[in-house]
Amino acid sequence: MMGTFDQLLERSTRSLAQRTSRRSLLASLGQLLTGAALLPLLPVDRASRAHAAAAKADSPESCEYWKYCAIDGFLCSCCGGTSSSCPPGTASSPISWVGTCHNSADGRDYIVSYNDCCGKSTCANCDCNRNEREKPIYRPSRNNDLNWCMANADVNYHCTVSVILGVAEK
Amino acid sequence: MRSAHLLCAALSWPLLAAHALAAPPLPPEHLTIERLPPPSRHWVYVYDEVFDNEIDARVYLYDGDSHRRLGQISAGFYTSVSLSPDGATTAVAATYFARGSHGARTDVVEFTDNTTLTVTHEIVVPGKRAEAGPSLFNLAYSVDGHFLYAAYMTPAASFGVLDPAAGTVLGEIDTAGCVLVIPSGRYRVSSLCESGRLLTVTLDAQGRELARTMSDPFFNADIDPVFVQGIPTNRGYLFLSFLGEVHDIDFSAEQPAFAAAWSLLGPAEKGHWRPGAYQVGAIHKELGRLYVPMHEGGEGTHKDGGTEIWVYDLATHRRLARWPVKVQGLSRTIAVQVSQDPAPILFAATESGDLAVFDALTGRLRHIDKHAAQSPWMLLNP
Repeated sequence: MMGTFDQLLERSTRSLAQRTSRRSLLASLGQLLTGAALLPLLPVDRASRAHAAAAKADSPESCEYWKYCAIDGFLCSCCGGTSSSCPPGTASSPISWVGTCHNSADGRDYIVSYNDCCGKSTCANCDCNRNEREKPIYRPSRNNDLNWCMANADVNYHCTVSVILGVAEK
Repeated sequence: MRSAHLLCAALSWPLLAAHALAAPPLPPEHLTIERLPPPSRHWVYVYDEVFDNEIDARVYLYDGDSHRRLGQISAGFYTSVSLSPDGATTAVAATYFARGSHGARTDVVEFTDNTTLTVTHEIVVPGKRAEAGPSLFNLAYSVDGHFLYAAYMTPAASFGVLDPAAGTVLGEIDTAGCVLVIPSGRYRVSSLCESGRLLTVTLDAQGRELARTMSDPFFNADIDPVFVQGIPTNRGYLFLSFLGEVHDIDFSAEQPAFAAAWSLLGPAEKGHWRPGAYQVGAIHKELGRLYVPMHEGGEGTHKDGGTEIWVYDLATHRRLARWPVKVQGLSRTIAVQVSQDPAPILFAATESGDLAVFDALTGRLRHIDKHAAQSPWMLLNP
């Protein structure tokens, strides 16, 4: 199994390398590192959980939730997972599309990775389709119509999470 | 009260019994399988993605005159659909799992005879298909029907060249980051690039690459991307942009030729109205009429369906009509198609799954088939 996974990862990494210029790769890595450095400081998910009874837009089970600004699919929060974790028994996709979403709670824009959770048929709960800055398939890193389970061992699509990568540079 | 009812029933029973005895019995029935009537230009193939249960997509054949569903083609998971140029065959490219919802993946193109709706044969293809949103360019026949092109994405982009008659995969062409298969000429395939250019690959009669060229950019993906749902014209395809620019591209020569872009919007409408849908336009080729679902909205609303359908004359770029769909009791229009005959009908699929049939000349609503599909994201006709 690990061999298969390694092969898949290698293939998707090679594919990414084939279609990504060095400059854009460095820019993306920079964004990622910025995000990684700030990750422990982010209060967002906990804040929303602490205010579960607050307005609907603060709930990760609501399509209005700020992190979902470019999601298209079923919210994993309604499928046994959370806004940033896949439901039990599924597999997370190693590749994803990204969005830039504004969190009105702290006034910052965040780069969000939308990963699919794979290996089971569609969750069919909390369908959410938002498309801020979403682009067609010729810009795949911003496209939410693709099946991002495409590089998984089992490509069946179940639901989608939104994982904060970091603060978006102005 | 109960006793009064019982009395009435007792009194009327002899009359009912006598009537039943007088009527001849129903004849025995013979189980048969319905045959399709001769093809009609008012048929439409409704691609239902079945988003709540994506492993079970399907294509419905619907008659716009009788307002009846005539039959169904099964279509698996993350499906691409293409009608052969002569309309005789529906090709469906889909993924299937060995255990229904999971297990080993098999990607296959299945060919259905459109006169019987039975599958005639199949081609097993590499597990690389672009599992993408609906478009005519995920899977497309060459103009003469000799080849079938299948867009691949792993996410590295390429396409497969298939021989539908022999049932074989002939090869794979790398498209270096450009996506989808836009067929033209004898054996040309164009792909849309992130840079706003068109890559055009020319093949030989065996499906091998002869040459490739790259066009100048015709759109800017950062400022105003084009929808990939190109609309067939007499000489190529028309691509609409998110902000309502019309890019008319002539694919009849060796290199694509770009007419000057024009706008769907007048000065008062710019910044307020825009096109949006899963299938964002349809053209009646002979009449030169373009039908576009339009809505009021801003950034991020490009997949919101139309609250109105706007009609344009392609020769003059003049808008001929605005047809509000909400007043007809319909939700937003997410896909449109028009029949190509002199008395055309316009099909409009809605976000709530209804299929509406309009007179394409006047906009008169003829019929609504409520809940015709779950996710009717694309409508096809020959």
